[in-house]
Amino acid sequence: MKTVKAAKSLSVENLPLDVATQDKARADALPSIQKDMLRTYDPAADNVRRFLDLLAERITRPVAASLAACVHCGLCVESCHYALTHPDDPTMTPVYKADQIRKIFKRRIDWTGRIFPWWVKAGTPRGDEDLNRLKNIVFGTCSACRRCTLNCPMGVDTAILIRFTRGLLTELGIVPEGVFNVSRDEWETGNQMAVTPLDFLETLQWMRDDLRADPKLAGLDIPVDLPGCDFMYTINPREIKFDPRSIAQAAKIFHLAGEKWTLPSAGWDQTNFGLFSGDDRLGGALARNLYEAAIRLRAGRIVISECGHGYRSTRWEGYNWAQYDQDLPSESVVRTLQRYLREKRIRVDKTKNDLPVTFHDSCNVARSGGMTEEPRDVLRRVCADFREMTPNRTENYCCTGGGGLLSMAEYRPLRMEAAAIKARQLEATGAKLVCTICHNCVDGLNDVIKHYKLDMRVVQVLELVENALVY
Amino acid sequence: MGAFFRPRPTAEISEGERRVSPLLQFVEDRLQIAALLFMASVYVIRVLWLFHFRAVRERAAAEGRASAGAGYSLSNIARPWAMESTRTRPLFYLQFVVFHLGVTAAIAATFIIPYAPQWLAPRGRVITFQALMAAAFVVAVFRLVRRLRRPVLQLVSTPDDYAAITLMMAYFILGILAVPNRPDRGEGPMIAFFILTAFFLVVVPFSKISHYLYYPFTRIILGRTLGRRGVLPVRRPRSRQTAEERGEEVGA
Ligand code: SF4
Ligand code: SF4
Repeated sequence: MKTVKAAKSLSVENLPLDVATQDKARADALPSIQKDMLRTYDPAADNVRRFLDLLAERITRPVAASLAACVHCGLCVESCHYALTHPDDPTMTPVYKADQIRKIFKRRIDWTGRIFPWWVKAGTPRGDEDLNRLKNIVFGTCSACRRCTLNCPMGVDTAILIRFTRGLLTELGIVPEGVFNVSRDEWETGNQMAVTPLDFLETLQWMRDDLRADPKLAGLDIPVDLPGCDFMYTINPREIKFDPRSIAQAAKIFHLAGEKWTLPSAGWDQTNFGLFSGDDRLGGALARNLYEAAIRLRAGRIVISECGHGYRSTRWEGYNWAQYDQDLPSESVVRTLQRYLREKRIRVDKTKNDLPVTFHDSCNVARSGGMTEEPRDVLRRVCADFREMTPNRTENYCCTGGGGLLSMAEYRPLRMEAAAIKARQLEATGAKLVCTICHNCVDGLNDVIKHYKLDMRVVQVLELVENALVY
Repeated sequence: MGAFFRPRPTAEISEGERRVSPLLQFVEDRLQIAALLFMASVYVIRVLWLFHFRAVRERAAAEGRASAGAGYSLSNIARPWAMESTRTRPLFYLQFVVFHLGVTAAIAATFIIPYAPQWLAPRGRVITFQALMAAAFVVAVFRLVRRLRRPVLQLVSTPDDYAAITLMMAYFILGILAVPNRPDRGEGPMIAFFILTAFFLVVVPFSKISHYLYYPFTRIILGRTLGRRGVLPVRRPRSRQTAEERGEEVGA
C-alpha cells in the first residue's frame, strides 16, 4: 500500500490529563473505588516511582523479549496506518511508540542502559507530565492492531508493549477520560455500557415479541438462564443499547436451526475493556463472570456474538487474565453459522444479498484470533457478489477504531487522519457493503465512511445470513 | 592449556607464511579463546536473565499447534514472501542476506585463519571471502546512510546503533585484508582484525549486536502464542480450510 498523506498532522502528545470524571467517581464514593478495584489519579503521589515499581513487578518474558530485541531497523514503519498517513511525522511509527517504554526499560532493567544510559538513549520519566505524554502516545497513537508485530523481522510484539504500558498507566489513573469511564462502568455494572438488568430483559422481550409477529416464528423464544442448553450466547452491550437487531437476527437463525440456547442474566457481556486498558484485573474479573455463568447454566459451549475484541478476550486472553483453565469450548457465532450452513440446518438463497460485499477482517479476530476463513466461507454461501479487499486477512488494515479508541474522543481527529488509508482500501473494492464480524469495527468503519464520504454501508454476518434465509 | 591453545598447523603452508609473531599468535588464539569464553558466559547469564521474567501460561484450549507456529515464526527470516515488509522490499531483504553472509564470512575467518589455514590456501576461497565482506561493507554503507537520512531512524537511533554499523564496516575492511593470511606481508591488519574480533566478543552481549541471541526467543514466543490460535502459520488465500475441516477439535 502506498503512502497516503493526511491533509494535516495533529499532535496529541501534549493533550492534558482530564480527571473530571475521576474526581466525580471519588466524590460519589463508588464501590469500585472504595474496594480499590478502579484506580484514580493522585497528583500528590510519587507516580514515577510507582510506575517504575509496577514496571519491574509486572514485566513478563514476552514483554521483556520484545523490549530487548528491537534493532531499530525501521521495517515496521510502513505497516502502521498512522505512519503511512503521516510520512513526515516519525512519532507515528511503531518503533518510536514502543521506544517510549523501551527506553524506560533500558534505564531501569536492562544492563547496558543502567550503566551507560546515554549509549542506548535510556531514560526515566521526570514527572507526571512525562507520564501523561506517554499516555497520549500509547492510548492516542496506536490502535494495538498488531500489524507491525507481524511485519517485524525480529518478532517484536509492539502491540503487547503498548498494552503493557497502558496497564501501568491505568494503575495510576493516568488514562484518557473515556478509558476511565468505560472501566468504571465495567467494574460497577459488569458490562461496559452500564446496561441495567431491566434494560437487558426488556430489550430481549421486545426483540422476541417483534419476531413472534411473524406467524412462521410464533414459537420463537429468547431464553434467559435456561439450564442445560447446547450453548450460552454472549453479546456486546452495544447490541442491547444501540442495535438490538443483531440479537433478533441471531435468535431467528438459532430458532430455525432448532438450537437449544440461552443467554445468561449475568455474565452476558463478552466485551472486555481490560484488553484495551491493559488492566488484567478487570479483564480477569469480567472473563471469569462469563465463564462461571456458562458453568452455572451447564451450557455445552460458549458462543460469542460478532465482536472482535470480545472474541479475542473471551476465546483467548480472558482465560489467562482470570487464571482460569478453559473448561468449555468457546467459539464465535460465525463458526456456529458456518456449521448450520454446512449441515443444512438453515436454508439460504444468496441472490437475496445481491449487492457487492467486501469483508473487513477485525484485527483482534484475524491477527490475534486466527479466524480468517470461516467468515469468508459463510459470506460466499449467502452473498451473490463477494469480493476481497486488498490487503486482507492478517494483512488487513485496522478500521482505526481498535484499541478502545472509539471511547477516546480527544484522539478522534488524529484517528480520522490515519483512516485515510482505510478509506482508500474500502473505496478500491467498489463494494456497496462492507461486512465485518466486530461491533467495534462497525462503528470504526462507519466513522471512516462518513468522514471520507464513501458510498457504502457496514453490515455484519448475522444480518446477511438472516437476510438470505429461506423458511 | 598450551597444547589446547595450539596455534596454526604448519604442514601445508610455506616457510615464509609460517613465521608469525608472538603478538599475532596471541591475538588470534589465546585472546580469541578468552574473549569467546567471556562472551559465552555472558550469554548464558543473559539467557538466564531473560528467563527470570515470568512466562505466560496459555490457559485457553489451542486451535492450532504452538510448535507449528514457532517453526513458522523462526523460519520467517528465510521466507521473504511471508511478511509484507520484506515481500514489498526485495532489495532490502537482499541487503540483509548479503550483510549477514559477510558477517558469517568474517566470523568464519577468525576460526579458519588460526586453526585451519590450509583451507584458505586456494585463491578462489580467499577471493570469495573477500567478495562477501566487500559486498557486506557496501550494504553497511547503505544502511548507515539510511540511518542517518531517514527521520524516523534518526529519531530512534542510539550511539549503540551507529557504533554497531560503523564497527562492522571496519571489521569487514580488516577481514578483507586478513583473509589472504599472509603475515609475511605485514601483520598489522591481521592483528587489528583479531583485536577487533576480541573486542566484539566482549562487547557484543552488551550491544544491539546481541540481537541474534534474542531472535530465537522473540520468534518462538510470538510463534507459539499465535500458533496456538491458528494465526501462524499464516493461512494463505488459496487455503480455505478451517480448523474443523482439518479435523481438529474446536474448543476444549
Ligand atoms: S520493532 Fe522490529 S521492525 Fe520495528 S524497528 Fe524494531 S526490530 Fe525493526
Ligand atoms: S499496533 Fe497497529 S496502530 Fe499500533 S503501532 Fe503497530 S501498526 Fe501502528
